[in-house]
Amino acid sequence: MTPFSGLLFFYAMGILLLPAIVLGLMGKPLRHYGLMFTFVMLIFIFSENGQLVSLTVFYLWETVLCYMYLRVGKKSRITLILVVTLSLLPLAAVKLGEIFATLRMFRLLGVSYMTFRGVQVLLDIHDGKLKELRLPDLSYFLLFFPSVASGPIDRYQRFATDLERKLSRDEYMEMLRRGVWKLLFGAFSAIVASGTIHSLWLSPLPDHGFLATLSYMYGYTFYLFFNFAGYSSMAVGTAYILGISLPENFRMPFLSVDMKDFWSRWHISLSAWLRDYLYTRFVRGSLKAKRFKNPRTASYLGYILNMTVMGIWHGLTPPYILYGVYHSLLMCLNEALDLHWKPFRKMKQKGWTHVAAVIVTFHLFSFGLLIFSGRLFS
Amino acid sequence: MEQQVIAILNDIVGAEEGELEADMDLFEAGLLDSFGVVQLFVELEKKFGVVLAVEDISRENIATPALIAQRIKQAL
Repeated sequence: MTPFSGLLFFYAMGILLLPAIVLGLMGKPLRHYGLMFTFVMLIFIFSENGQLVSLTVFYLWETVLCYMYLRVGKKSRITLILVVTLSLLPLAAVKLGEIFATLRMFRLLGVSYMTFRGVQVLLDIHDGKLKELRLPDLSYFLLFFPSVASGPIDRYQRFATDLERKLSRDEYMEMLRRGVWKLLFGAFSAIVASGTIHSLWLSPLPDHGFLATLSYMYGYTFYLFFNFAGYSSMAVGTAYILGISLPENFRMPFLSVDMKDFWSRWHISLSAWLRDYLYTRFVRGSLKAKRFKNPRTASYLGYILNMTVMGIWHGLTPPYILYGVYHSLLMCLNEALDLHWKPFRKMKQKGWTHVAAVIVTFHLFSFGLLIFSGRLFS
Repeated sequence: MEQQVIAILNDIVGAEEGELEADMDLFEAGLLDSFGVVQLFVELEKKFGVVLAVEDISRENIATPALIAQRIKQAL
């Protein structure tokens, strides 16, 4: 069983959300029940898919690392690299297991999302932004059930602020209304819309041929959008019902005028995470240390690093890595056009050139998804 | 403070004297991007000793020179 899929799942989740709704409507805090809800749902899902032991090991590993790093006196760059590497080990084990059968003993649904939550806590501890951790809050954040399988990737301090917030009955009513709407919209998008595209468009297509591949590229783009945006919407909706305002993950991505704009609209929580914790750190460090004669070199290399890691985050197989490299090249091209071709900025803003920019960006992304789908490798 | 911020921004975005206004949305105008924000924060740290973290500040809060100046005043 996977989250947000199948009648049994929705039946169980619906029953378990009822006490949260009652508590919310009574103006009572939801954090304790929300934590219990998360644990019950995780046990329900992970005992059924046989990954409960892996989840327990992962949780203990990340929690111990966070507490150990909190207690380290002098936090040097070396200790940070060490602790982040250790935090990434479960993710590496799962991704390597997808390639090498002998390493397939450790499997864990949602490990990519949960690991980035753990790494973010470690980075904030290193920066001195987190001086203390509450075990229930950290556990709730690391394992927060609604976003465990497909995001969005939240930030610890934002999440903890929501836990502290006291919601009045009226405020909760509004969150509940939005939550239910998002759940219904997400279910329609992920199950009905993407399911229809898959069965009526993608499945009947032949495996080979230029036109079939072209049709597959468009179909797969819409399929993945409705599927992913739908699951994200259901996660955000469920979180609202638990009194947590998860960040939105999509903002009309197919209206983007270039690839930079696109990555501020598609899988926003992942691209913002990588921008804030990878690109920015790399560029800031490079500028301060004057690593490059031309400061923009740091930006180009930052984009290559950022997007390649994004590809690897999805998996270590060639389609994912190539997808990351492809987007790193597109981002560099985007940067070069912004810098060296003055009309580019104005062209994107209005008129038919704006429409052309939207169409070109859509096709560039669609081709990226064709790489991502693995069809070109089969 | 606003004028000092505008002077820093002029260097970063390559704008001419008088081109940037205190209430101008720098992101909407396509003048500031991710790299520009990092450059701006490094320059603000040099000039005012203020350390701003990108992950703590949403773009809406630093969209105009006036908002950036306000942010610096808060941090000083």
